[in-house]
Amino acid sequence: MRGALLPPQLRAITGTRSGSLAIFIVRRILWMVPILFFVILITFTLMHLAPGSPWDKNGGRQLSDTVVKNLNIRYGLDKPVGTQFLLYVWNVTHFDFGLSYQYQGKTVSTLLLESWPYTATIGVLAFLLIIPVGVGLGVLAALRQNTRVDYITMGFATIAASFPNFVIGALMVVVFSVLAYKATGGNFYLPAAGFAVDDSLIMPVVTLALLPIAYTARLTRASTLDTIRQDFVRTAWAKGLPERLVVIRHVLKNSLIPVVTTLGPTFAFLVTGSVIVETVFAIPGIGRAFVVAIESRDYPMILGTTVLFSLVVAVANLIVDVAYVFIDPRVRLT
Amino acid sequence: MHIGVWSRALTFATAGVFLAACGGGGTTGPNLASPDKQILRANNGVEPNSFDPTQQTYTYERAVGVQTYDSLFRAKADGSDVEPVGATGFDVSSDGLTYTFHLRANEKWSDGKPVVASDWVYGWKHFLNPALAAGYVDPFFDQTIKGGSGYGNVDVSSASAVDAFLNGLGLSAPDDHTFVVQLDHPAAYFKWVATLWMAVPLRKDIIEQAAGGAFASTDATKAEAWANNASTIIGNGPYMIKEIASKDHVTLVPNPNYWAPKPHLQQIVYYEIADGNTAYSQYNTGALDMIGVPLADVTVVRGDPKLSKEAILIPTLSQYWISMNTTRAPLDDKNVRMALAKSIDRDKLVNDIEHGNGKSLSTFIPKGMTGYDTSDNAQSFDPAAAKALLAQSGKKDALAKMKLLTRNSTASKTLNQFLADQWSTNLGVNIQLDVIDSKTVTRDIRKGQFDIYGLDGWIGDYPDQQDWFDIFVTGSCHNLNWGCLSDKNYDDLVTKADAESDKTKRLQEYSQAQKLLIDNAVVAFMYQPYEYDLIKPYVQGLTVTTTDDQNLPGDGRYNQAFITQH
Repeated sequence: MRGALLPPQLRAITGTRSGSLAIFIVRRILWMVPILFFVILITFTLMHLAPGSPWDKNGGRQLSDTVVKNLNIRYGLDKPVGTQFLLYVWNVTHFDFGLSYQYQGKTVSTLLLESWPYTATIGVLAFLLIIPVGVGLGVLAALRQNTRVDYITMGFATIAASFPNFVIGALMVVVFSVLAYKATGGNFYLPAAGFAVDDSLIMPVVTLALLPIAYTARLTRASTLDTIRQDFVRTAWAKGLPERLVVIRHVLKNSLIPVVTTLGPTFAFLVTGSVIVETVFAIPGIGRAFVVAIESRDYPMILGTTVLFSLVVAVANLIVDVAYVFIDPRVRLT
Repeated sequence: MHIGVWSRALTFATAGVFLAACGGGGTTGPNLASPDKQILRANNGVEPNSFDPTQQTYTYERAVGVQTYDSLFRAKADGSDVEPVGATGFDVSSDGLTYTFHLRANEKWSDGKPVVASDWVYGWKHFLNPALAAGYVDPFFDQTIKGGSGYGNVDVSSASAVDAFLNGLGLSAPDDHTFVVQLDHPAAYFKWVATLWMAVPLRKDIIEQAAGGAFASTDATKAEAWANNASTIIGNGPYMIKEIASKDHVTLVPNPNYWAPKPHLQQIVYYEIADGNTAYSQYNTGALDMIGVPLADVTVVRGDPKLSKEAILIPTLSQYWISMNTTRAPLDDKNVRMALAKSIDRDKLVNDIEHGNGKSLSTFIPKGMTGYDTSDNAQSFDPAAAKALLAQSGKKDALAKMKLLTRNSTASKTLNQFLADQWSTNLGVNIQLDVIDSKTVTRDIRKGQFDIYGLDGWIGDYPDQQDWFDIFVTGSCHNLNWGCLSDKNYDDLVTKADAESDKTKRLQEYSQAQKLLIDNAVVAFMYQPYEYDLIKPYVQGLTVTTTDDQNLPGDGRYNQAFITQH
């Protein structure tokens, strides 16, 4: 019998639905350890394969060999690569992500903590925009299939999905910052850079959310169209239920399952999308820190950021998997 | 490695000083904005990697460093000599080996304590500590200061070795107001080295307090613990740091204990917007007062009736060139190198590629400093002569196999495509571009693995020729002398001129060295870049000098600057 050898407290929970859920979560969290190890291994290898050292500059006078030698000793780069890797992994198990090469005297943890709130704020706001707008547009288009509403919505989704976000960001800056400032004499415009809890958030959040909104809308439309042709929906209509109830209680509950599946990747997209959005809008978040770290070969910072990104994506996927259970009773976690 | 020179916009600077005088130097001038509006918002581009000036090597770091810390001297506004800042004067012993700096008597730290000579000794030793590996030690300091030549051989894992090295340096404080530096050999340029932003005093008590007590000289982490916190960055400069908003901005406010009269500007905010187009938008929406114009927008600004009036073109103290690897055939042939140098239309390059932001220059020393002399036309554009030289060498086919190493950026690719086109048109040789990742390019040139590489160049650290001529001595091979010019006559001339105290003789020696450099054609000199900046009309009183940051014109002397009502 499953769980027979477990202590009574645990045996009690394994049989239940919430018990198996708890075990599933614990197992998935434990799985993150090897995942992170391989993320570190791959990043570490690629990073050291990339040409150039952290001390090489993009032109002009280079540091002298003497200074480079001392810098290598200062940051432990004089040790064999294998030793450096093992040392790094050992330190990570103690939650020590090392010192940044670029920002002297600052630990990677400090730098990540400094920049994380900006990325998280924009990411969460974008996420909150994606769900209602994306799902709303998708359902609307499906319910009004082959009408003007459908064409406009899907036309918008196609355009939004086709433009890379650095193009959208730059276009928005031109239109809503520079041209709007000129047209209104400075009375209405959106700031092109900076971060504050005000209108400076609008453009970065919209830029980041646009592509996922487009995908979510298209996916929702397709799955909604699929669902509304099902027998149980016809039955609901036949019972004389109002449209609102049919859509919310019967259609959405089923058509959203594939949409939920994509939320994990969407989260990953928000994390990687921040790299570009934060550069365009000069937001001091983690995405920009990542770009700067790669450009300057700030090895500990590259590793720290990658580990954090992987952790976020892994946790997001776990949440999505758990969310299935609640949305679709047919899903069993093993 | 920094510095922009001023001559063209001299009228602008003069007008500013004049307006400041009208304002009466107080806050009651009719045109002056109220004190709470005396805020200058400029774009510094990138966050400093360190706020410890001794560790700073990049322009965006120095920009903050020079506001928060004063060196012994700074360059005069016209760049002709040094003028007192932290020191009021100096004596040099007759053998040229001992510099006695007389420190400013009433100088104070931003927390009110007096600056004493031992702070200077401590600051310079912190800078010269090999365990901290500061970028500018070598060659400026370790190769001039007595006892510094062992810098590269100190065992940086041994505190006793590091201490022995530091204690053996020729740095001493005979009394509170005298700082003595002994040199290893006579160096006529040492007063200029004393203007560098990393040669500053530091506070032992503050640094040790931030580190949690005294620490071993090998402990780089503890030695830098103070440098990331505005409250422990206690400086002797005109401004002090009020806020560090990481990767967003740094806010500077006047140092209340500074020795000079109080400035008008009550706040200087240096934003860290890396994307030039975003900064340009911020300028246009009034969020920034001062920016460098992105290359893509230069034409728009020139054509805009309002913006063109706010724009200034500043010659920088820099020069660009192409390096040729003298150890590879056929580039070991001087005629081949000269043919390449003479077949590039530099005027066309400046106009078409740089949109006029520069000056074609086929000699070494840029306009705006002693030694500028364009009379040597050996490398000047002359396609007929270039063809003749190449024909004479008989190595045209071999030259066609050479590649032009190019950094993988739009700017580099555009420039180098132009160079290749010029060689193809004017010399009939097709040289391929070898476009690779910028870091790889740096690795390759350091190892001498390239045929032709460019454009690379130099931005002066201070307006003295020694800073320039030392680039091409044999010892700098694989440092910036990528093509590895090794010419004993050149080395001897430069060594002599560096030590020469007679100005006329010194100028002659450098002039001869410049001729050798040009004739050797180990590098092909191209153009002196100019900086195109936008400044809002309500920013007045800027005195732009040779030592300013390129995107922050006037940053060496903000004491005269002010904001008018707008």
